[in-house]
Amino acid sequence: MIAPRWRKALRDVLARPGRSILAVLAMAAGVFESSAMLYKYAVLQPELTQMYGRTHPASATLSLDHVTDALVDSVRRVRGVADVEARPVVVARVRVGQDEWTPAVFWVVRDFERPRIDTYVRDQGAWPPADDALMLERSALQVAGVEPGDSLTVRVAGDRDLTLRVGGTVHAAGLAPAWMEHMVPGFVAWNSPIRGGATETAQLRIVVADHPLDEGWIREVADSVQAMLVRGGHEVGRITVPTPGLHPHAGQMAAFLYLLLAFGILSFVLGAVLAATMVQAWMAEQIKQIGTMKAVGATQAQIAGIYLAQVAMLAAAAVVVGLPLGILLGRAYAQFAAGILNADISRAPFPWAMMAAVVMVGVLVPLVTALVPVRRAARITVREALSDEPGMRRAAPPTDAWIAWLAWLPRPLALSLRSTFARRGRVVLTVGMLSLGGAAFISALNVAYAWTRAVEADFASRRYDLMVGLTEARSIATLERVLATVPAVEHAEFWPGASPYLIGAAGVPGGTVSLVGPEPSSRLLTPAMEQGRWLEPGDTDAAVVNRAVLTRHGGLGMGDSVRVRIQGRNVAFAVVGVAKELYPMPVIYAPRGAVLAATGQSNEMARSIRVVTRGHDDLSQRAAARELERAFASEGITVSGMQRMQDAKQGILDHLVIILSVLTAAALVVVVVGSLALTSTLTLNVIQRTREIGVLGAIGATPRTIASHVWFEAMVFGALSWAVANLMALPSSWLLETVTGRIFFGSPLDFRLSPVASALWLLLVVVLATASSVYPAQRAARLSVREALAHV
Amino acid sequence: MIALRGLTKTFETPAGSFAALRGIDLDIPQGELVAVVGRSGSGKSTLLNLIAGMDRPSGGTVSVGGRAIHDLGADRLAKWRGQSVGVVFQFFQLLPTLTVAENVMLPMDFAGRHPGRERRARALDLLQRVDVPEQADKLPSALSGGQQQRVAIARALANDPPLILADEPTGNLDSATSGAIFSLFGELARSGKTVVIVTHEREAVSGASRTVTLADGRVVA
Repeated sequence: MIAPRWRKALRDVLARPGRSILAVLAMAAGVFESSAMLYKYAVLQPELTQMYGRTHPASATLSLDHVTDALVDSVRRVRGVADVEARPVVVARVRVGQDEWTPAVFWVVRDFERPRIDTYVRDQGAWPPADDALMLERSALQVAGVEPGDSLTVRVAGDRDLTLRVGGTVHAAGLAPAWMEHMVPGFVAWNSPIRGGATETAQLRIVVADHPLDEGWIREVADSVQAMLVRGGHEVGRITVPTPGLHPHAGQMAAFLYLLLAFGILSFVLGAVLAATMVQAWMAEQIKQIGTMKAVGATQAQIAGIYLAQVAMLAAAAVVVGLPLGILLGRAYAQFAAGILNADISRAPFPWAMMAAVVMVGVLVPLVTALVPVRRAARITVREALSDEPGMRRAAPPTDAWIAWLAWLPRPLALSLRSTFARRGRVVLTVGMLSLGGAAFISALNVAYAWTRAVEADFASRRYDLMVGLTEARSIATLERVLATVPAVEHAEFWPGASPYLIGAAGVPGGTVSLVGPEPSSRLLTPAMEQGRWLEPGDTDAAVVNRAVLTRHGGLGMGDSVRVRIQGRNVAFAVVGVAKELYPMPVIYAPRGAVLAATGQSNEMARSIRVVTRGHDDLSQRAAARELERAFASEGITVSGMQRMQDAKQGILDHLVIILSVLTAAALVVVVVGSLALTSTLTLNVIQRTREIGVLGAIGATPRTIASHVWFEAMVFGALSWAVANLMALPSSWLLETVTGRIFFGSPLDFRLSPVASALWLLLVVVLATASSVYPAQRAARLSVREALAHV
Repeated sequence: MIALRGLTKTFETPAGSFAALRGIDLDIPQGELVAVVGRSGSGKSTLLNLIAGMDRPSGGTVSVGGRAIHDLGADRLAKWRGQSVGVVFQFFQLLPTLTVAENVMLPMDFAGRHPGRERRARALDLLQRVDVPEQADKLPSALSGGQQQRVAIARALANDPPLILADEPTGNLDSATSGAIFSLFGELARSGKTVVIVTHEREAVSGASRTVTLADGRVVA
């Protein structure tokens, strides 16, 4: 037989289903969001941190003239080399529309069955693929606009078009997603027909033994391999050493996981605060019953036991409601995020431990947060509890200042607001929770705005529309003649360029850097400057570097020499400025003449053209690109690449999807939790003011008037939270804009506030406050005067 | 049974200190039915609260059944109250989500006085004694005011305490029902229990073995 006190605990919960459901929903919202966020984190974290390692990434990649099996065997015997694999690469373009081409890169695989370095996993299609089949990275299907089995035209070496079948897809976790890079990566067989052109480069990928994460050691081993190859009569071009052990998008992934974890923890905290608020209000409502029970002999522990049991029941129900929904959302979002980051979570185990922790914490956190209000209620004296004097057991009466401030309102409405705002603790918590959601919402929009503005500003400084690359240098006179035949072209400039090695502080050549040579008088490039000045006519060996150069070359500053190794010799430029660019790769801008001199290129010839078109929107750029493709083709000039600036801009804007999707999803759930808190507060206010509402009814207030008071109260909460959210959004926006800028671009985004974010939140908060007031307003309006006055 | 010495109680209010009791000396022997009367604000309910251990005196001592309760800790006081005192309120204060029988069983549950399986039978006996046995499984809201007060008296008797304290027990009842309730208290006193009733009712005064009159926090008669 269940003891009466436990029956009371159960029946109190069941007796007021509306209030109990509200409490369960409020707690469930916290469980829901935290389980969704932590599920995503638990599934994605191991995958994102381990998937790159599972691909056995190459320690270094060496480009050379040609490669044979015998050569591979020789390299394997070099000291420090653990493994080596030949993987030639063919740079190509694939047709995505009439005269529209997208950059593509195909790696040539010796043995699809036994990849050892930079591995991939079969996704769909026949295996091993036929010699004439293209195996696209799975994220490339969308970019290329094809499905397995479709035909795809590949332009190799600028002018050789081959139509091949898409044999299937592979998942290459070490590659960035194709949509993000706006290019089509894929793999072909050793005897593929696309091989043999001028755009094929032989490559050797090596993995070092002993110290695989030591970049210095890797470079040492790569140098030994290079020396061995040179001794054998080979020409060794570029040596690439990626940051050991780090996925190309490791920074973005870390930021993504950090955000998930942070929002998961925030959700728990919010859920706990909400639970505490509700328990506090519950205790206030139960205070007379507590007094009665104490009068008939209940000890503090017995009283506390009854109410903690109620909290445990509600919390358990909240876990039952919130956890499955959270897991569903978490799973869906994890799949979405995995797709964005080119990860594969299909074999990820269910995170039992994390979910068990959510269950435990989901029940324990409300209990722990309930301890204070329950203990306080249990310690009240019988006289205080049973007293009808408001000052004895209710909140402090409003101050005179309050009353004066509300004098402009109709008396009954002022009375409602005074009663509500006398409970300051509850007001602070409700406004605080709604404001947190608002701040997250506004911050997400501010980050998006700052990001978009930064991208717009960056591309506004590049006043050309197309960047055309040719397979070989052609005379500028010829190119100008061809360009003159294309009506969509307004202006063109021919900037020399090269990709030398950047010589670091220790005097050792490191990674590559783009060396670009615009005319200093050119108006096509006017980047914002972080320090110093842009190139000027008369400059000879001056250079402007971007932030990425400074990141890779610690200690480089204004007036210093930045040195590059190009065609076997060192060339130095004096740094006169640091350009503010979003581009995360290092770029050195030097006067055209200086670059021509450094690279030995002819003043009369060019391989790269910056084109200004008459229209600058996406459609105009696409049309001009098609016309240019046709014009160059008719003159026998082969185009190796055609970059549309709108396309490049969109590529950077697409990166925003990752951050924005996490921020807005999390913000919206926090907003929902805040709305539930508001509903809860309004309902409890109605319950606690039942007698007052009865009095209002007795002196003539209609149900509509009483309901409108509740709505007005909700609006006041909404307005307060709008103001607070705007204030809270200032530091959080600054922090998020700084962090995302550093992660994606290497420098913080300029602090910007979206002009519409605040207005949108105001609109949203009005809608939410109205929705939150519906239930409590109905409840208040339905109270009969007799019931209300009899309420104890 | 009850011995009060120099009992004072002062409340701090926004308007300043308010002395509800100003040095009460009072003895009530066992088995007496005492009516405490006085105007509103004279200190009647405060006196009752202090005898029941529901509030703490500002000064003086309260001894009930030979035990000084004024310096007991909150939990020891609650246990003592559960076993030694039955309290009846003006507004009955039955717990709305428990049935009538469960309300009567609740003090037994808190005090752990009777074995669990015997509590319902005892509750039904007590309900029989106060003449509402048929209401045992109803919720309090289904009962009339008089019936609720009878249930409240049954609850006060749950642990068979020697002392029954009632604060305006008929203040919310009609005169016929009030008479029946006072009769019940008379029976309890005759059975050996000490009964102290704070009341305005003349009927209670007439049936009491003794009347204590308070004015401005002092015993005046």
